[in-house]
Amino acid sequence: MLAEIFSFLYQFADVFAFLILASAGLAIVFGMMGVINMAHGEFIMCGAYVTVGLVKAGFPLVLAQALATLAAALIGVIVELVIVRKLYKRPLDSLLATWGLSLIVTQGMLLIFGGSMSGPGTPEGSFSVGDYTFSVYRLVLFAAALGVLAFIYIVFMRTKFGVYARATMQNAPIAQALGVKVGRIYALSFGIGAGLAGLCGALYAPTMTLIPTMGATFIVESFVTVVVGGANVLLGTTPAGVLLAIIRSGLNAWGGQIIGQIGMLVAVILIIRVLPEGISSYVARWLAAMEKAKS
Amino acid sequence: MLVYPAFADSYSVGNTAYLLAWVFMALGLCLLWGYAGMLSFGQTFFFGIGGYGYGVLALNFGGGGMTFVALILALALAALAAVILGYFMIWGRIGGVFFGIVTLSATLVLAFFLGQTAGPEWKIGNARLNGFNGMKGMDPLTLPWFGGSQVYFEGTYLYYLIVALLVIVYLLLRMLVNSRFGNVIVAIREDPQRAELLGYDVRKYQLVTFVIGSVLAGMSGAVYCSWGQFIAPSSIGLPAAAMPIVWVAFSGRSDLTAVLVGAYFILYFFQMITVQSQQAALVLMGAMMLGTVMIAPQGFFVGITRWIGGVLARRKAAQAKG
Amino acid sequence: MAEFLQATGVAKTFGGLSAVAGVDLSVDEGDIHCLIGPNGAGKSTFFKLIVGTYAPSAGTIAFRGENITGMPSSARVRRGMSIKMQTPSVFRELPVRQNIQIALQHHVAKTDLPKEEERLLALMELSADADKLAGTLAHGQQQWLEIGMALALKPKLLLLDEPTAGMSTEETFRTGELIKSLNAEGMTVLVVEHDMAFIRQVATRVTVLHFGKVFARGSIGEIISDPRVAEIYLGKTHAA
Repeated sequence: MLAEIFSFLYQFADVFAFLILASAGLAIVFGMMGVINMAHGEFIMCGAYVTVGLVKAGFPLVLAQALATLAAALIGVIVELVIVRKLYKRPLDSLLATWGLSLIVTQGMLLIFGGSMSGPGTPEGSFSVGDYTFSVYRLVLFAAALGVLAFIYIVFMRTKFGVYARATMQNAPIAQALGVKVGRIYALSFGIGAGLAGLCGALYAPTMTLIPTMGATFIVESFVTVVVGGANVLLGTTPAGVLLAIIRSGLNAWGGQIIGQIGMLVAVILIIRVLPEGISSYVARWLAAMEKAKS
Repeated sequence: MLVYPAFADSYSVGNTAYLLAWVFMALGLCLLWGYAGMLSFGQTFFFGIGGYGYGVLALNFGGGGMTFVALILALALAALAAVILGYFMIWGRIGGVFFGIVTLSATLVLAFFLGQTAGPEWKIGNARLNGFNGMKGMDPLTLPWFGGSQVYFEGTYLYYLIVALLVIVYLLLRMLVNSRFGNVIVAIREDPQRAELLGYDVRKYQLVTFVIGSVLAGMSGAVYCSWGQFIAPSSIGLPAAAMPIVWVAFSGRSDLTAVLVGAYFILYFFQMITVQSQQAALVLMGAMMLGTVMIAPQGFFVGITRWIGGVLARRKAAQAKG
Repeated sequence: MAEFLQATGVAKTFGGLSAVAGVDLSVDEGDIHCLIGPNGAGKSTFFKLIVGTYAPSAGTIAFRGENITGMPSSARVRRGMSIKMQTPSVFRELPVRQNIQIALQHHVAKTDLPKEEERLLALMELSADADKLAGTLAHGQQQWLEIGMALALKPKLLLLDEPTAGMSTEETFRTGELIKSLNAEGMTVLVVEHDMAFIRQVATRVTVLHFGKVFARGSIGEIISDPRVAEIYLGKTHAA
């Protein structure tokens, strides 16, 4: 019995980690700038390829993953400066431009590198509870997802950059008038978003076969988490991740992966009917009401 | 257009029919995005429903005149799917960028689902879905003719059928956008709140528009499936889902005629490059999408048309003066 | 007889912030009812509650004997109200004529449309600019266009949120005369304004909102002579 409960928690943690790692970067960029980065999957792919490339060149896995994250972040900053920056007043156009970029990158990679590339293999290590065996690396991924949320909390709530970023998010013209360098904040935020995408790819690289179109594996999960979560990573994406992970892992256990994915999509479509502004605005309202009740 | 088959070989005629089959979904997206301001990334979702719907029904009904019943039911299926998806999105006030990514999510999930139906247990009546390899063997559209003979809509006949359908669809859409309904959806695109305060139930207008645009994508799917007697999930998922967006964006989303002409030419050139390298063609598509947004957000064909119009107008004015 | 427009205990909070805090207000048929009050008194929010742009946090709104509290805006408009919003909200990218058409078309027969269109364009003095894009009109003209669109619906109740903002004294006066003539034809008008001369010109009844609540109500004479009102509202005007 205990083993079954642990098994379900493990499945939940696995799905939750996937949702958070896949969506955190997308959510930051959307929350800050109202832009949905359609090339998000390609930043994930970039993180995975750089990781595998460095591991094959002899780097230790963790160092390779860190460098891959930085590489994706750097490319993110460049993409912001060259493309996304010009489109902030046209959110739909930024969607199309990044989608165009995504096509160029995936198909260009297919042209240059061809099809699939094997990963370095999932790090060994497993443990048993009752009759079940579990992978240690999956728990590492769960810990990493919590780490990412903690990182976002610290960066946006506990640093000077965070203060400026939140001011910009609230009202960019006023923040600008108060001397915040809005352009730099946007570039950095996009870089952080791209870096987190790269981290996602770096972390999952050992567990999967790499292909240039691998971003598509992540993108549905990242989209629906952001749609349900709304504009705030901490108040929206996190509860959305919990909610969707419960639905998804329950359905996976009941009917397999594809039922899990279809069921999750149906659940999302039902949720948006009930919570059109996403969970984050609901949570924010609830917090405001609590605050008021206290005073 | 009508005499074209008289002096072209049968391969070219068939190929033209194939290219034209895709234009329905481009026109549907033009209505949705250009006129009503709803940027749907789900055209291939409905393409898939129309195509697979036609395939499954045609395989089960057998051939003959029943293929037209299959076509109509496939379109009804696409309409039903559009009503359901549209209801939840529009009544849930999903707009702007979210409209795109929710429709795209539905599209990708459908493609994933169909992709894993390779096993023999995945069949509907006589129709094996066949996973990534695609479903095949359905009859093309067939009309029972006098004296018990049948007209298969293949080659030249299919070409005429598609041209006729396209002309009808284009004219109906023109009438629609010039009607009161068209006036209202343009108003909603410009300012939904204002339209609501003029007494229009914005959600109903958006839902009807979404259904029309999506059914046209379903029509592309059904006609495509009839043309090649084949359909596969690769026409639904990425990168296929981006294609209608490129055709419409590059041509100029605000004008049905520009999209009609532009989409055909893009398809034509895309096919020429695809023969050499599919990846190169898709890289070019991506570049066109990016280039359109950065250089000519209103679209290139519309830009050219307006430029020519401007030059002509100026020349006319100069002549009038002289 | 049921009241023409009756708001009972209507409230609206945003987050924890209260914009309208329990307003009871009735508008009688045939009045030109002015709603005044300092900035932030909740006037525009109250208007948006009446037309259904916002859903109230509490309270009910009845229009011509029918509870309309939960209805979408379009249903309220079809029951006979229309609004000109505070900031000009016309379809900027569309020609003036099309703006008018969109407002007219759903209750005017196709054959009468051109005639009605010309009549309204002439009434709003926009005939010469009919083919310009609405966004290119001067601010005052945009206000008139929007009033024209509101009138196109032939409302029983016309809601005007600062109709004369950005207008010259002369334009303001003419707007006032237009409102009076519409009223004489049987249209009830509820108007938010700051301009006291304009209010004197048109108002048959005045309600003062302050901090989201009804502060005073009466005829224009009673309101002007109320020292408490002078303190919160007119006093401020004098000081400014």
